[in-house]
Amino acid sequence: MTAAIAVGILVAGGVFLILRPGLARITVGFILLGHAVNILLIAADGAGRRGAPLTGEGDLARMADPLPQAFVLTAIVISFGITVYLLALVRASRRTGKPDSDPDDPGPSQ
Amino acid sequence: MGVVLVVAALSSMGLLSLVAPLLERFLGRNAGYLLAAGFIAVAVLLGLQAPTVLAGQPETASWPWIPALGVSFSLRLDGLASLFCLLVLGVGALIMAYCPRYLPHGGRHGYIYFLLTLFGGAMLGLVLAADLVLLVVFWEITTVLSFLLISAAGSQGAAPAARALLVTGMGGLALLGAVVLLAVITGTTDLTSVLAARQQVLASPLAPAVAALIMIAAFTKSAQVPFNFWLPGAMVAITPVSAYLHAATLVKAGIYLLLRFSTLFAGQPGWSLTLIAVGLITAVLGAAQALREHDLKALLAYSTVSQLGLLVAAIGVGTTVALAAAILYTFAHALFKATLFMLVGIIDREAGSRDIRKLSGLMRVMPVTATLTGLAGLSLAGIPPLIGFVGKESLFQGFARASAFPGAGVVTGAFAVLASVLTFAYGIRIFYGAFAGPTLQRRLYEPSWVFLAPAAVAAVAGLVLGPAVAILNPLMREAIVNVEPGSVPPHFKLWHGLTPELLMSAVTIACGLGLFVFRDRVDHGLSRLPHLGGQALFDRLYTSTFRLGAVVARSAHVSSPWTYLARPVAGLVLLGGVGAGTLGRLPATAGQRSQPLDWALLVLLAAAVAGLVRARSVLSAAALVGVTGLIVTTWFLLAGAPDVALTLLLAEVLTAMVVAFVLRGLPRSFPRPRRPGTFAAGVLAVLAGLAAAGGVLALTGRRGVSPTGEFFLREALPQAGGRNVVNTILVDFRALDTLGEVSVLGAAAMGIMLLLGGLDRADSERLVAPYRFVLGPAYRVLAPVTAAVSVYLFVRGHNEPGGGFSASLVAGIATGFGYLAGRPGTAPRWRGPGPLIAAGLLTCAGVGFAATMAGKPFLAHFSVPLPSGLSVSSTILFDLGVYLLVLGLMVTAVTRLASEDDQR
Amino acid sequence: MSGAVLSLPVAVPLLAAAMLVAMPRRRRLHLVTGVAVTGGILLLGGEVLATAVGGTVLTLDIGGWPPGFAITLAADAFSALMLTVSALLVLASLAYAAVADEGGPLFTPLTLILSAGVYGAFLTADLFNLFVFVEVMLTPSYALLTMTGGGRGAAGRIYVTVSLLASMIFLAGVALVYSVTGTVNLGELAGAARHSTAAALACSVVLLALAAKAAVVPLHTWLPRTYPAAPAPVMVLFSGLLTKVGVYAIIRVYAVVFAGAPQYRWVIMTAALLTMVIGILGTIGEQTMREILAFDMVSQIGYILLGLALFSTAGLAAAIFYLVQYVLVQAALLVAAGTVETSHGGGTLGKPSGLAHRDPLLAVAFMIPASSLAGLPPLSGFIAKLSLIQAAVAKNSYLAAAIATAVSFLTLLAMIKIWRGVFAGREAAATARPGGRPHALRAARPALIAPGLALAVPAIVLGIWAQPLFTAATAAADGLTSTAAYVQAVGR
Repeated sequence: MTAAIAVGILVAGGVFLILRPGLARITVGFILLGHAVNILLIAADGAGRRGAPLTGEGDLARMADPLPQAFVLTAIVISFGITVYLLALVRASRRTGKPDSDPDDPGPSQ
Repeated sequence: MGVVLVVAALSSMGLLSLVAPLLERFLGRNAGYLLAAGFIAVAVLLGLQAPTVLAGQPETASWPWIPALGVSFSLRLDGLASLFCLLVLGVGALIMAYCPRYLPHGGRHGYIYFLLTLFGGAMLGLVLAADLVLLVVFWEITTVLSFLLISAAGSQGAAPAARALLVTGMGGLALLGAVVLLAVITGTTDLTSVLAARQQVLASPLAPAVAALIMIAAFTKSAQVPFNFWLPGAMVAITPVSAYLHAATLVKAGIYLLLRFSTLFAGQPGWSLTLIAVGLITAVLGAAQALREHDLKALLAYSTVSQLGLLVAAIGVGTTVALAAAILYTFAHALFKATLFMLVGIIDREAGSRDIRKLSGLMRVMPVTATLTGLAGLSLAGIPPLIGFVGKESLFQGFARASAFPGAGVVTGAFAVLASVLTFAYGIRIFYGAFAGPTLQRRLYEPSWVFLAPAAVAAVAGLVLGPAVAILNPLMREAIVNVEPGSVPPHFKLWHGLTPELLMSAVTIACGLGLFVFRDRVDHGLSRLPHLGGQALFDRLYTSTFRLGAVVARSAHVSSPWTYLARPVAGLVLLGGVGAGTLGRLPATAGQRSQPLDWALLVLLAAAVAGLVRARSVLSAAALVGVTGLIVTTWFLLAGAPDVALTLLLAEVLTAMVVAFVLRGLPRSFPRPRRPGTFAAGVLAVLAGLAAAGGVLALTGRRGVSPTGEFFLREALPQAGGRNVVNTILVDFRALDTLGEVSVLGAAAMGIMLLLGGLDRADSERLVAPYRFVLGPAYRVLAPVTAAVSVYLFVRGHNEPGGGFSASLVAGIATGFGYLAGRPGTAPRWRGPGPLIAAGLLTCAGVGFAATMAGKPFLAHFSVPLPSGLSVSSTILFDLGVYLLVLGLMVTAVTRLASEDDQR
Repeated sequence: MSGAVLSLPVAVPLLAAAMLVAMPRRRRLHLVTGVAVTGGILLLGGEVLATAVGGTVLTLDIGGWPPGFAITLAADAFSALMLTVSALLVLASLAYAAVADEGGPLFTPLTLILSAGVYGAFLTADLFNLFVFVEVMLTPSYALLTMTGGGRGAAGRIYVTVSLLASMIFLAGVALVYSVTGTVNLGELAGAARHSTAAALACSVVLLALAAKAAVVPLHTWLPRTYPAAPAPVMVLFSGLLTKVGVYAIIRVYAVVFAGAPQYRWVIMTAALLTMVIGILGTIGEQTMREILAFDMVSQIGYILLGLALFSTAGLAAAIFYLVQYVLVQAALLVAAGTVETSHGGGTLGKPSGLAHRDPLLAVAFMIPASSLAGLPPLSGFIAKLSLIQAAVAKNSYLAAAIATAVSFLTLLAMIKIWRGVFAGREAAATARPGGRPHALRAARPALIAPGLALAVPAIVLGIWAQPLFTAATAAADGLTSTAAYVQAVGR
């Protein structure tokens, strides 16, 4: 239940931010969405178990499903890499003088 | 034997077309004569089949082409095909012999010769095709060649060529549709089988669609109303092209199609009525338009339209007599029309004008030319004893005896007479211009006999074949039998006795003469009539299609991302709605879902997100992002994911650091958005949140334990040698995922390098280090500590939370911190991050590849024996590769982002 | 031929890329390595295809772990065919980039990583691994798009953000699938979405993301906005790979996880028809060569989805045949467009003009693939459209057949628009580049046209000699309509 609400809040916030002008805001929005997907992945453990998946430290039957956690780790690293790249893109467009945000009306084709 | 000859004929045309440009290289424009000889040779090749074919045994040849679609490359030479072959090759030879004197001396004509010969081959293929798909193929090829030939006329040919291509292309698609439908109805694309399956086709509910599509295809190709407008436009092409394509062959393809499919549809009311109506309307309107024209070529174009209309109508009537008449008239029309075009071309060359008002009394200066023109004109007008008369007579006969509907004979006959009257009128005009009247241009002289020869041959043939039409009888009869199997074909002869047709001809001549006598008043009356033409409609459709397209295209030219991003979100919301509606009973939730601490975190999270949404300054946003990250990290800890929490925490710190670097170039606060956009975004956001929450609620936590998860939990220690199950999954069980992920990091690093400057650039001289006096000393202490922590995390990762990622993220923090502290000297001097990335990627992929080399599956773990007796597991090496790559990315980011200031 | 070779298309390009990153200045080495690696994979793909057409599915369980738990790479006829044609495209793109002198020292490594992602995506039988390989494919594409100034503005931003959003939705979908079914292995998932609404819903999220990546209407607007901003060789690379992975994945997921569920086919049919129509309307409305060709990519995806929606052997075989020949035809068109831009100063219709006289070879290099695209015989596009329309009529989808025919006509219209704008007509006066000297009235270097002409050859060959490709496509289609062999090879 809480996972659902958490995801809902993060998705709402994230979607709102990515639909606003400005690449910086969009990046923040994607960070929130990334958190949302990660929480979703952790919640994809089918039975709500919460033990840390370290062999030898507790009952196997109470350990959380390790596969979604591995997914999350991979996803975190991938989105970290792309976030760094996005920030570099923000910097690069500042350098070349292109505006970071464009007005909301349609512009001419490039 | 016969088969071979048929094939040889077709291939020879192909070869000839390839040879044509070469011939032109050596002989210049005179290459036409050799090509004409080639055409005649091919005709002879086919003519050798005549005995068998005319005796009722067609020659067929077939090879499989695309068995998957049931399409084969089949050719068939029967009577009807022979007739058309004779037309194509005969008229083609004449045109080829005409070209050398028509085309200007010097100049490059290889292209034209190539296209004309190729066209001849394509037409040949069209009439010989015995597979429906092959028919369509050749049909479209002729369309394309026509386009190219019209385009060759230069810039004024661009628009007419496009129009022709579009209209006839549309017809080609209609034909394709008909062919596909027929293939589905009869189960085959073989023409003979399809034509033999008359009952099956007519019984199918698709039959009207097939018939309609075939008629559309024929109408476009043969320029019937309302598709007629492309033909007069095509007259910008040079005269040989007009004479060959647009009088004798290309436009006759539609007639051929209708004749062939008469086998299936003759006598069907829809077929007959449509063809008769369209044909007769075209005949009358076309002739009226021709009478108004002053440009001889345009006049001939409209005349062709009109004559084709008569043919279409005759095919519509569908009786044996009418079909026979259509076949004969096809032949006759080709003959005299080609002649007329050629002569008009000659006159144009000599007199410099094609205007009929400026030509009169040519007899005195160009007697031979004038005589030939006169002969052809008479044939057009339908005066005995020329073949045009014989053909028209049989047409009248066919119309008079029509029985498609009550009173058909009278109605069709009347219209036919009307069209013929108008035809007679303009035919006589041509004749008059040739012979009578004062000679307006005195300085003309007779063109050379070489130039005149082809036209002469055709004109004289028209004269001779009138009385001698019986020569054509065997061919005609066989053709008619092909179209209507089992029929008794009529005999053609010049004089049938006193018949209603003769009366109709007489009436035609009389009225026509009348129109001629009162030509001034007729002209006046006609000029008051509106110009017929589907062209205006076509052009309007053309431009509105483009305008519609522009509207659609504009949707993809917005500059800000939000329209593009809103669409997938809307899709998600839609899915959420669908889910809400369709998900029935859900399985019960397994296990415990929520704990009290969760709710506390939730409240904090809501506050943080709310703050972020409303944040105005970039600094506060950055801070809140960090807070959110901490909350989520705690969430993961509570959920039993310590490795994830650790990695997320470190990634958050690093992201914050990178943001700090980039911050210097950003404005202080976010841009101020517009009110309505905010509202829409808000609505969509709320809906998306609801959909997401609903999805998570409905679809998670209801499954129970998964076998895959159990497998990993059980086998991590025994098979992979690690107690940290997540880590074993990452570097052992599912190492391929990790390999992909580090490639992503490597590519990201390369992307940053491309965005922000050189590859192997070492540390830049200009460092941003405003805090170096504060952080410098701290760094000197912290750097070795972080290095130690990094190594510690790396080593313990296989059994406790830690591992390559976390370790390298720590090292990355140290690097970044080093730059903030402005002490590059304490951090090792990098020669650019390239080698790091290369090393990392090589290690990871290399480890996997080494396993393959050792005969194991890719990325299987193995032990690397060290000289000192110890052994290293390949997974540690893999983890090392990960370490190097993540570090490489961090170094790239830090060196590029930290070392610039925002001067351009 | 054992399954062990399946790791090579992923491992070798990555190793080669790593090596090249360490030696960035040696352009010759880059070209040779790139061509050698891709050529090798092309040959390998052909061999695998030959094996797969016979009905065997080659598999490789990564790490040697048991199937069903491990990640499995699998090559049936469909995957092998896609692998082969992609390698061919990468080869052409590398050649064109070398000739056009575009791309800096990182072009080849990035292309190699991108290609590794593409091959991996075609071979993997694991949904999460598919996500990873798609990221492996997309991240270099971000770098390649923003390589030059044109890509750094709005186009680059839009491309990266839309792609990122689609990737996140993809990941969320995979999470939901795992949550509902407990596995991400395609073999284990077989038929799950057909019988369970919850699984179908979860998979739909995945399909939504893939549709965004494949530029299916109405998620298509990013493609014509962003692709034309890339340098021409990069656009050639993108056009044949990125959206095609999306389409491949849609087909694979629908065939295996949905087991071709008849109850949802109307959704795909609607999407296909909309995509065809809107795509071609947008194509007609654009004003520069590359924008026209970008929008037309949207329309062609619709044709392929139509074959999927029919879900008969004939329909799927037609779709796959279409896909393969279209990749090459589109690449040829883009090479021609790129050459027009670089050699004659821009691709806006109207300036330049009259190129058919100035540069007849280039005109031919354009006209052949354009005619194929428009469906004129005897080229490959005609055969492809014929087979698709025939399959549609055979399944009584007359509306679909009619729309497909009409869209084909409009495609012809679009090609005529380019022809009249750029090639036909009088030669324009020498056009001046902004801030530079006027272009001389001469033809483009033959080296620039050669890749285009080479790519145009398949359009002719596949049209006249279509049967071999049809055999392969039918084998692939068989593997999709009855997935038993694939599922057995991949699952537990």
